Amino acid sequence: MTSAQLEVLLQTLIAGVLLGGLYALIGIGMTLIMGVMKIINLAHGELMMVAMYIAYLLFSLFHLDPYLSVFIAAPLLFLLGMAIQKFLINPVLKVESILPENQVILTVGLGMVLANLATIIFTSDYLSTPVDYATKAWYLSDFWRSSPIELSLSYPWSVSFLIAVVITLCLGFFLTKTDLGKSIRATAQDSEAALLMGVNVDRMRVITFGLGSGLVGAAGCLLIPIYYLYPDLGGQFTLIAFVITILGGLGSTVGAIIGGVVLGVFESLTATYIGMGWAPVGRFVIFVAALIFLPGGIASLLQRKRFGR
Amino acid sequence: MRRVLLVMTAVFVISLFAAGAFAEDFKLSIPLPLTGKQAKFGEMMKRSYEMAAEEINAKGGIKKKKIVLYFEDSGAKPETARAIVEKLIDVNKQPVIVGEYTSACAKAVAAVAEERKTPYLIVASADDDITRQHYKYVFRQNAVNAHYGDGVVDFLRRVVKPKTIAILYESSAFGTSGAEAMVKDAEKLGTRVLMKERYEAGSVDFRPLLSKVKAARPDVVYMVSYVMDASLLMKQIKELRVDAKLFAGGAAGFAIPEFIANAKDAAEYVISATLWTPQVKFPGAREFAEKYKKHYGDYPSYHGASAYSALYVLKNALDRAKTWTPDKIRDALKATNMKTVFGPIKFEDREGYQNQNFMDTLVIQVQKGAFETIWPAQYASKKYIYPIPSWRERR
Amino acid sequence: MKRYLPLMVLMLLVLLPLAGLSTYAMHILILVIMWSVIGMAWNLLGGYCGQVSFGHAAFFGVGAYTSGILYQKLGISAWWGIPLSIIVVAAFALVIGFICLRLRGPFFALATLAVGVILRVSAENLTGLTQGDLGIMIRTRTWVGKTWYFYIILALAAVTFFLVRKTIDSKLGYYFVAIREDQDAAESLGIPATLYKSIALCISGVLTGMAGAFYMNYMGYIDPKVVFALHDISIVTIMVVMVGGAATYWGPIIGSVIMVLLAELIRSIPVLGVAYQTLFGILLIVIIIFLPNGIAGDWPKLKRLFGLRGAS
Repeated sequence: MTSAQLEVLLQTLIAGVLLGGLYALIGIGMTLIMGVMKIINLAHGELMMVAMYIAYLLFSLFHLDPYLSVFIAAPLLFLLGMAIQKFLINPVLKVESILPENQVILTVGLGMVLANLATIIFTSDYLSTPVDYATKAWYLSDFWRSSPIELSLSYPWSVSFLIAVVITLCLGFFLTKTDLGKSIRATAQDSEAALLMGVNVDRMRVITFGLGSGLVGAAGCLLIPIYYLYPDLGGQFTLIAFVITILGGLGSTVGAIIGGVVLGVFESLTATYIGMGWAPVGRFVIFVAALIFLPGGIASLLQRKRFGR
Repeated sequence: MRRVLLVMTAVFVISLFAAGAFAEDFKLSIPLPLTGKQAKFGEMMKRSYEMAAEEINAKGGIKKKKIVLYFEDSGAKPETARAIVEKLIDVNKQPVIVGEYTSACAKAVAAVAEERKTPYLIVASADDDITRQHYKYVFRQNAVNAHYGDGVVDFLRRVVKPKTIAILYESSAFGTSGAEAMVKDAEKLGTRVLMKERYEAGSVDFRPLLSKVKAARPDVVYMVSYVMDASLLMKQIKELRVDAKLFAGGAAGFAIPEFIANAKDAAEYVISATLWTPQVKFPGAREFAEKYKKHYGDYPSYHGASAYSALYVLKNALDRAKTWTPDKIRDALKATNMKTVFGPIKFEDREGYQNQNFMDTLVIQVQKGAFETIWPAQYASKKYIYPIPSWRERR
Repeated sequence: MKRYLPLMVLMLLVLLPLAGLSTYAMHILILVIMWSVIGMAWNLLGGYCGQVSFGHAAFFGVGAYTSGILYQKLGISAWWGIPLSIIVVAAFALVIGFICLRLRGPFFALATLAVGVILRVSAENLTGLTQGDLGIMIRTRTWVGKTWYFYIILALAAVTFFLVRKTIDSKLGYYFVAIREDQDAAESLGIPATLYKSIALCISGVLTGMAGAFYMNYMGYIDPKVVFALHDISIVTIMVVMVGGAATYWGPIIGSVIMVLLAELIRSIPVLGVAYQTLFGILLIVIIIFLPNGIAGDWPKLKRLFGLRGAS
């Protein structure tokens, strides 16, 4: 392997890991929601879009750094998510219907409304928050002058990766160590049993949807400095969130981050060695494979290890 | 519930009649994508049509008739675009169709227009095939995609003289045919194509692709990206310090103001093909661009200029047509020979195309955070900057 | 009376083109009928057998491309795509079924969604076969008028309607519903669930594929983003059925009237501008909250509601 080939490989791996962090962050809200309620939320990406518009507004009006707007956008999305669950999804979940999947229409309708409202308010222009660290990076040659290869590590991408890890750890702590978190997990495992044990399942669902929305809101704030914004951007990120959710294992935060990195690396390798046009195929092939061969996702692998079986 | 329905039906019916109240007006409904991924361009063209209609009406309209514009959202869906056009031809009896944007929708509309023998003026859909079907009623004012890169190719031939080129393009009709055209042009230039890679539009991370480009060390990196992928590509090129003699874009995403706004200093020195710039020396171009900027905050790209002048082309044809029947309007359009802000317009049959307007494509370069026209020399607003500094030198 | 309702509706539709409707109205009608075909096909798998597919665009697209490739590569009339798509789509459906049908509930849904996307991106990349993003265009469509297209899609719809009905009334239908209600229980009664699910998927896929082949002929242009669309095909299919009423004979037909005709009417209200999408989104939300089984599924409830209004 020549040094040029090595450089391509290493740069691809770095890109894959960082991309994975971003994917994990986008997927983590959905894994929580899907883990607790088993519903397919097709408005996930649109919720992120809403958070991105909030971050954009804060940036253009008050010059607030998008990373700081996490502290405003995420709570707002938390409230929005709670309202959606309380007034729209819970009523539909409660009614007996032939196909439980009828909530899909609800989330599609919701996504349409959100995207359309964004078009009406902000027009369809492409917006961005041009921060000066957008293209900042650390270079290997800055640290090691005579390095035979050159590698770069993007500054904003690394920050989002770190925040993704921190959020994952905090969320994991919240779910395993606090009473509220334990109730949410109980609801996820068996909502009827949880109900019998005195857990207010409806409330847990409301909180979960709020949390999930808040998390994807945070993801939006971290995405906007490195991406851009327009009303119709939600769809493709909803799909990525599905992949992460299944690959990581429903409801598993650690699974989401590992799943994200696995997916990111796999996609980047596909892009480099097969062709970037095929990268989405790689993404969904791994998704179907995970569905079939690894039904519990990466989380089930972790669990098996932990119990030594 | 029933009352709501009643009100809705009433609104619908009234709106139908309202459209028929002013018999003296020339009503023109324009199908456009106003929602969905392509809405940005639909919106820009809508504004430009409106500006043109306002000006024409202020000067007495067309044969003393006021133009009244209506816009119908096709959402970039071919079935919907077709539904709109069927309605315009059959119900509204509109004798001429203008509009649409994506190539998929334009193809659907063109087929209907030809079948129903109603002239259709294409404003910004670039796919080569549309005017190669031996259609008699379909006219296209913008250049075909195969010619979008002509200016850039000429610049490469005269100035850069590259030995190798890497072509990156988005997965769409526009990207594919743009890349194919460049492959053919490169052959003529004697430039070796090192790589030709497609990517999914809207991707977040181009680094794997770009690190391959970096390892291949091409003289020129040519990219065909519809929208904001352009700015992400340049940002990540800067970050990876992919150096080449020249970074060139194939119009669209590289020629809209958002490109500079998003990529900022990473956009510097990038050249792009375009069909039109605000500085171009066609009469009225400057005024149109400034007026647009005053109203909407930014300069329009060629899409806007094309839409704006399309109404003037239509006015010109309608002024000449004895009666406003589809066939007479078609003949008048065919005889068009006029100057617009978009350049001289004439619908010719050549190179296997029918009713196609051929135009000089321009080259712009980002210089100090603004687009400057650099090629061909007679249109240039600034001299080109070449060679360009490497990323390391730029700090 | 009720027994003859389908025949009466069919007779009415057969006579409809004689009324001299505008081509615009005919176009919308053709789209409504095409969507009812897709909806009825989906309903067989989703509504009766309980396997909610998020990837019917896969079948639609394969059908459309069967037709398109015949025309483009072999120079044969694209109409042969309709019969040929039966074989091609059935083969695809068997493979897709083999992969996806071992999954249940939301996991099956997500797997089919992925299959749809995989097929779209593959169609974009396999340029030698599909022309990739440039799409396939028929130079001149068979007819300028709409009447024959109307009768062809109507015939397909009639066949679909009676086929679905016959299937559901037969033993097969009981097995399907048993699998939907409780797959484990059905299996313990000796019903080979995977086999019957595959049958449902195959019939459903083939009918959808034929609609896709019709689309190629009717619209004259396809590209991967149009016929393999996740939102505009797969999800609209689900909405057609669920808004109309899953597991009902008339549901998909009512649903496609709402999703195509009503959507077009709302779209054409000039005062709304682009806000029509908000209105339509809200309409969907309202329908599903108040009529969780769709319009046909909650027909008694609707009747009661309006009956009460009438009395007071």
